[in-house]
Amino acid sequence: MTDSEKLIKLKELLLSEDRDFAQNILQKLDSLEDTVNTHEKLSEKVNPIIDKKIDTFVEEIPTKLGPVIADALTKSQDKVVEALFPIIGKMIKKYIQQEIKALSDSINSQVQTTFSIKTWQRKVKAIFTGVSEKEIILSEMNQTSVEQIFVIEKGSGLIISSASKQESIDEDMIAGMLTAIKSFVEDAFKKDQQSLESIQYELFEIHIQNFTSYYFAVVISGGFDASFKNKLENKLFDIASHIKTDAVDKEHITIKLTEFIHE
Amino acid sequence: MNSSKKVVLVGHFGVGKSSLMRRFVQNTFSDNYIVTIGVHILKKEIKIEELNLTLVIWDIEGKDDIQKVRSSYLLGTSGFIYVIDPTRSQTYERFNEEIDFLKTTYPTSKIVSVANKSDLIDIEEFKKLLEQKNISIDYFASAKEGIEVENLFQTIGLKMVKNV
Repeated sequence: MTDSEKLIKLKELLLSEDRDFAQNILQKLDSLEDTVNTHEKLSEKVNPIIDKKIDTFVEEIPTKLGPVIADALTKSQDKVVEALFPIIGKMIKKYIQQEIKALSDSINSQVQTTFSIKTWQRKVKAIFTGVSEKEIILSEMNQTSVEQIFVIEKGSGLIISSASKQESIDEDMIAGMLTAIKSFVEDAFKKDQQSLESIQYELFEIHIQNFTSYYFAVVISGGFDASFKNKLENKLFDIASHIKTDAVDKEHITIKLTEFIHE
Repeated sequence: MNSSKKVVLVGHFGVGKSSLMRRFVQNTFSDNYIVTIGVHILKKEIKIEELNLTLVIWDIEGKDDIQKVRSSYLLGTSGFIYVIDPTRSQTYERFNEEIDFLKTTYPTSKIVSVANKSDLIDIEEFKKLLEQKNISIDYFASAKEGIEVENLFQTIGLKMVKNV
């Protein structure tokens, strides 16, 4: 064996293991490159991991993200309102437009039924009362209703009697606060013989009718016009004639008020 | 039997009228002072023998002179609770004068007086001081610690019902 042959033999003995190892790494790199560059193969490997992460994220939204969002909203309330205002404004505008259209359609359909008895009755009423036919139709559509009625002792603000269509929050406190507001307004303007007559609260109007030692507070929904006010005042005068501030009459008054509210 | 009575808390600002009312009605106390504007009304039912008595309590804004309080807030009151702060002498300097005014203007109303914040003072020392000034206080209470608050309202309830 020549020296060069011996050298080749030695190289083979020393380097064959490294070469195999390098070959093996090269194969693995090729396989990895193939996996990364081939969409299907990459998806097969990565998708289960992403799916699992998404599932965990969704599960943790209420506990982790919820407080963060709530905190961020609280800290920047004004900005949120500013951002939402134009959107909400448009929604409200659209809603009102739709409602007005519906109202207009409804009025038109009522006006168009020219030969119905009700239309003729309305026309006659319009001639005699001087109120336009459209206003009569509007008032017919916006039915007035007495929701709650209180008889409250002046000064103390204690309830003498009350009736309500629905369960209401603490009536003693409503009566007390109404009396305090009434006292404040009447004091503030310092006008003798003048008193607070009504309070408007969104869709409700609280009509106040004063008597010597007590007053009525009537919560009304719907259109509260002069004609209804007149009827209401007459009814309250009628009830007032039964009121005496002793305990025996209270039950009788409550019956009267309950009858009135369900009329 | 059920009955309702109006009770008004009166006294200078910052004496603890709202705190006494909150301790009695809601059994809570807060160190944060929020001045009462206008009037705040709460209610609580107590039992006086066989009678269920609803106390409608008006906590009105504090004034350094009882005559400056809106008279319309005081009309129809069955019981007054006059509150002083023993740590501020100006809240009881005119005590007798103000009690006399209430007795004269509202002769049928009952009055109970109370020194709130009694947890901050030596009560015996303060009683001696009041004696020198010829001032008679019914209760030494603490809205913060819940001392004597219940008794105070129970007493005004009893006085109103029994007319004593």
